[in-house]
Amino acid sequence: MKKDKKNSFNTPEGYFEGFHDRLMDKINQEEIEEISVLIPESDGFVVPDDYFETLSEKLTVKLAKTQSGKVIQLKPYKKFFYAAAAVAAVILLIFVPTWKSDTPIAFEDLASTEIETYLNSSALDMSSYEIAEVISLESLELNDVLESELEEQNILDYLNENVEDIEELNLDYSEYE
Amino acid sequence: MITEETLVKELKQQETQARAFEVLVDAYKERLYWHIRRIVLDHDDADDVLQNTFIKVYRNIEGFKGESKLFSWMYRIATNESLTFLKQKSKKLGLSDDELKNSMVENLQSDVYFEGDAIQLKLQKAMATLPDKQKLVFTMKYFQEMKYEDISEVLDTSVGGLKASYHLAVKKIEAYLKED
Repeated sequence: MKKDKKNSFNTPEGYFEGFHDRLMDKINQEEIEEISVLIPESDGFVVPDDYFETLSEKLTVKLAKTQSGKVIQLKPYKKFFYAAAAVAAVILLIFVPTWKSDTPIAFEDLASTEIETYLNSSALDMSSYEIAEVISLESLELNDVLESELEEQNILDYLNENVEDIEELNLDYSEYE
Repeated sequence: MITEETLVKELKQQETQARAFEVLVDAYKERLYWHIRRIVLDHDDADDVLQNTFIKVYRNIEGFKGESKLFSWMYRIATNESLTFLKQKSKKLGLSDDELKNSMVENLQSDVYFEGDAIQLKLQKAMATLPDKQKLVFTMKYFQEMKYEDISEVLDTSVGGLKASYHLAVKKIEAYLKED
């Protein structure tokens, strides 16, 4: 028994000599237990060999393919023309009555081609996403954004020429049964 | 090392575009891939979404105004593309969002590009129970080790809100992992 000269308490033989090792064992044990109930550090996903090395090449091919496959220009900016025309109409309705003129100009006097020309020549820095945000989809018909009327036959012809895999169309066959 | 500003400038110019795009892809492919992969889980799906993301970046670079960092902008596109992809997939398969998430995790067990053990699989199951936003914050912080300020720019959420989401996500995942 090891005695402390200043008090009467005793410690087992070798208690302090082995203290550090016992403490470290306990810390390690607690860490192991904690890790097992906590979130793993990695999530176990892997990628095929050379995936990242060949990505640029694949992308270049895909870009070239999609660029050459761009057949129909749906004129996405046209959607904005309609919204802008509506805004212009409201502004005109507000300001027209205050104009002192014998022959007041009505919105109808403004040819739609003039509006289009104005919008074409003005810098409209809007992406198709921004345009989509201001126009509700419900108020638009497909034919609104096309220059000529889209006939069913045109659609069938286009699909016939351009679609390689009919599965891509995600057709709901039950509708046709 | 090319600066972000120079890279954007070169991407907008016809004559330097192709080379700059290669630099862009090399610089961001891995980070974007892992971000997408952790949302869609399957490698082939992640590959599709990653390629579409880069194509979108290439096509829309003109519209990039530099109000946010290029990388935040790209992450935002990648996040939107991934979530849209999952929406389309659930529609195509006729599944609800939750059913799709569960089937995606189930498929991991036979996925050759998933080498996770039982705990890692359970982690995926736990993450599938989280709302989309919480899951995004968790993966971006925990696995991608992004700063809250950067996540904030990508997800358009305050740093305080993100910290709360992360904390909640960790608590939920821990609780799930402790279950038998």
